Amino acid sequence: MNNSEQFPVETSIIKKLEEGLDPMVLKVINESHMHNVPKNSETHFKVVVVSEKFTEKELKSLIKRHRLVNSILKDEIATEGPVHALSIVAKTPEQWQKMAEQSDGEENISIGTSPNCRGGDGSLPRRSS
Amino acid sequence: MVLLNLLGRAAARTSLAYPVTQKYAGASLSIACRSFSRDSSSGSHSDFEPKRKQVSDEEEAKKMIAGHVRDNKIMLYMKGNPSMPMCGFSARVVKVLQDEGVDFSSVNVLDYPAIREGVKQFSEWPTIPQLYVKGEFIGGCDIITGMHESGELEEILKDIKKQ
Repeated sequence: MNNSEQFPVETSIIKKLEEGLDPMVLKVINESHMHNVPKNSETHFKVVVVSEKFTEKELKSLIKRHRLVNSILKDEIATEGPVHALSIVAKTPEQWQKMAEQSDGEENISIGTSPNCRGGDGSLPRRSS
Repeated sequence: MVLLNLLGRAAARTSLAYPVTQKYAGASLSIACRSFSRDSSSGSHSDFEPKRKQVSDEEEAKKMIAGHVRDNKIMLYMKGNPSMPMCGFSARVVKVLQDEGVDFSSVNVLDYPAIREGVKQFSEWPTIPQLYVKGEFIGGCDIITGMHESGELEEILKDIKKQ
């Protein structure tokens, strides 16, 4: 089974963000293992998107950028969709460059750690112990 | 009939009929909603049991939400409550608000499925937690954390702290 069959949600997210934002940098990180869900789940993601599109005036505010990403991924994050939580880092190329300089290199940029799970609300299948 | 027993220094309200917990820096106070039905099937009189207001309809939920965000300057929809969050993202927002030193009100959406869905439609935002300040949707965990780190959140909350 290749990657896109084993991880269809991740594959779909990558494809949609590439088409919608033509990003300079795109990282789609499956964080489901940090949560109380079965192995190989695709329920919790972090996306890092660096795109020239965010330099547009109306996409200056964080909330507008996040809304754009939400709308691109609306099927995945709908209540009945597979994704339960989506963490977004949305930067312009200039902002990303600045972060790289401050961290001594792009590979050292800290994108923040998502918070620890608190057990969940019981609506998703649980990880078997 | 729903009677509200408000604790603490919040202004008394005569007909507050929604499930809001008021969090004061350091202490968490619950608003008990009591209804006077006469169901005696459990043996003890229902007058002595705390009851939750039934929120069954999403339209009703959205009206309630409009009221919450109008009447509470800082309003957080979260999973769990401030003293026991049930989700890491909600817990992080609570921590940020505590670090900012502000009082806030919250609703535990896990207890109210109609509000959980209604608030997503209200703000056109797909996830919980959701923070509203002076009636305006500000963001979820990522945005609130980012604004806290940049000082933007302190700016927004400055006026409220003064009052």
